[in-house]
Amino acid sequence: MNYIKSKDWELPENFVTDERLFNERRKFLKLGAALAVSTAGVMDLAAKEFVPSPNLEYLKEPNLQKLTLNSYEQISSYNNFYEFSTNKKDVKPLAQNFKSAPWRITIDGLVERPIQIDMEKLMKKFPLEERIYRFRCVEGWSMVVPWVGFELSHLIKHVKPLSGAKYVRFVTLYDPEQFPDQKRSSFVALEYPYIEALRMDEAMNPLAFMATGLYGHTLPPQNGAPIRLTLPWKYGFKSIKSIVRITFTDSQPLNTWQKMAPKEYGFYANVNPHVDHPRWSQARERVLGKFLKQNTLMFNGYENDVAHMYKGMDLRKLF
Amino acid sequence: MNKQLYLVLVLLLPLVYLLYMLFVTEVEDPIKYIYSITGATALTLLYLTTSISMLKRAVNFIKYRRTVGWFSFFYACLHMLNFVILDMELDLALAIEETLEKPFIYLGNIAFLILLFMAITSQKSLFSKFYKYHKVIYVAILLTSIHFVMAQKALSVDQWIYLLIMGIIVIFKFLQRSKILNI
Repeated sequence: MNYIKSKDWELPENFVTDERLFNERRKFLKLGAALAVSTAGVMDLAAKEFVPSPNLEYLKEPNLQKLTLNSYEQISSYNNFYEFSTNKKDVKPLAQNFKSAPWRITIDGLVERPIQIDMEKLMKKFPLEERIYRFRCVEGWSMVVPWVGFELSHLIKHVKPLSGAKYVRFVTLYDPEQFPDQKRSSFVALEYPYIEALRMDEAMNPLAFMATGLYGHTLPPQNGAPIRLTLPWKYGFKSIKSIVRITFTDSQPLNTWQKMAPKEYGFYANVNPHVDHPRWSQARERVLGKFLKQNTLMFNGYENDVAHMYKGMDLRKLF
Repeated sequence: MNKQLYLVLVLLLPLVYLLYMLFVTEVEDPIKYIYSITGATALTLLYLTTSISMLKRAVNFIKYRRTVGWFSFFYACLHMLNFVILDMELDLALAIEETLEKPFIYLGNIAFLILLFMAITSQKSLFSKFYKYHKVIYVAILLTSIHFVMAQKALSVDQWIYLLIMGIIVIFKFLQRSKILNI
């Protein structure tokens, strides 16, 4: 008789845990543990845990300042991106089909080497690094974001601005097929395309950063894919998203929000706890995910790196 | 009586929803969220209160008016508590300074005082004496609508809808008063 004799250390089949269950054992344990803590705790765990697996190679930032990062979920679900919607919670679902590839950026104006470059090529031109930056919205909320990208100054040096270039102007994509608010014929929230600008010395400041990723992963569309500006010492609206054009100019460009409401939003928009917005105070801020507020820092905590650029300027007038 | 109870339960739904969102799910910007939900609810109920008065000859819901109005005040109170406790962090000097300095905030506070006056004088014993002053609700509607619009960075369709409702109420009231409209 030919049969396989079980070894005495072998367990019967019905003792074996199903593979699917086995693979999910940690999830199951966590769920159990979290349930024991509280229902809110489960949601918290679920919210904090989801981060897409990294797909970018970059130099990690050691986070010497020990800033507490906001979760990927918070950063990517609460977005001011009016081209999609003025409702911050609606942006993410509306942005899911956004096509950020192929993507071409035009760099022109007062430069020696005006170029049109594909995003893919641009990503390979400069080594990527991580920057953990505070982000302060003019509306009074804030977060801490681990961006991935490269310094704006690297790009500027690459195209060699002419001596007459005094400002850099950035433009967001105009594509009514992709951006619902650009398609509206009435009740449009803003004038499009969205425009932002920097003075040349601001643009060359090492803090000015072109972000192409977030938490080690390429930017999700709602955060400004495929490439956006991040200027940690300025209010968030200066950090223009989904950039298609960068132009070097000799006169100060009119940025979108200044054009919409010049009494409320200026060209500089430096974070300043001593100069209030006409409708609300800027002295303190609401960190995303928290019920308690914290003090807003001068230049959002980057005073040592940027204050010298604004010496002698009346920051109450040039807000 | 039973119907009043159902009405109260319905009027409590926005609060239940708010608490669920705050403590069961995660809300990114809780202080802002409390402002939005309580503010929009208070304003909607204020619109509803006046609509009941204006349409009383067409549909008589007048016996529910006080409950609806009272709940508008209730949500306005939560809105105010959010301002004082979480936003101003119980710094009353700051709250007063902000109120005096910023039109956005004093418009809201004036509207709150109007609602407070109406809530106090809506008791049966006082109402007969004070009901004629309850026309100030139209002032409250104007102020809260402006306050609501000012809370936004840019106007979206939602805000336009609120403004539209406010416009309809104001025009309707005007036509009614001037006897052009006979409802």
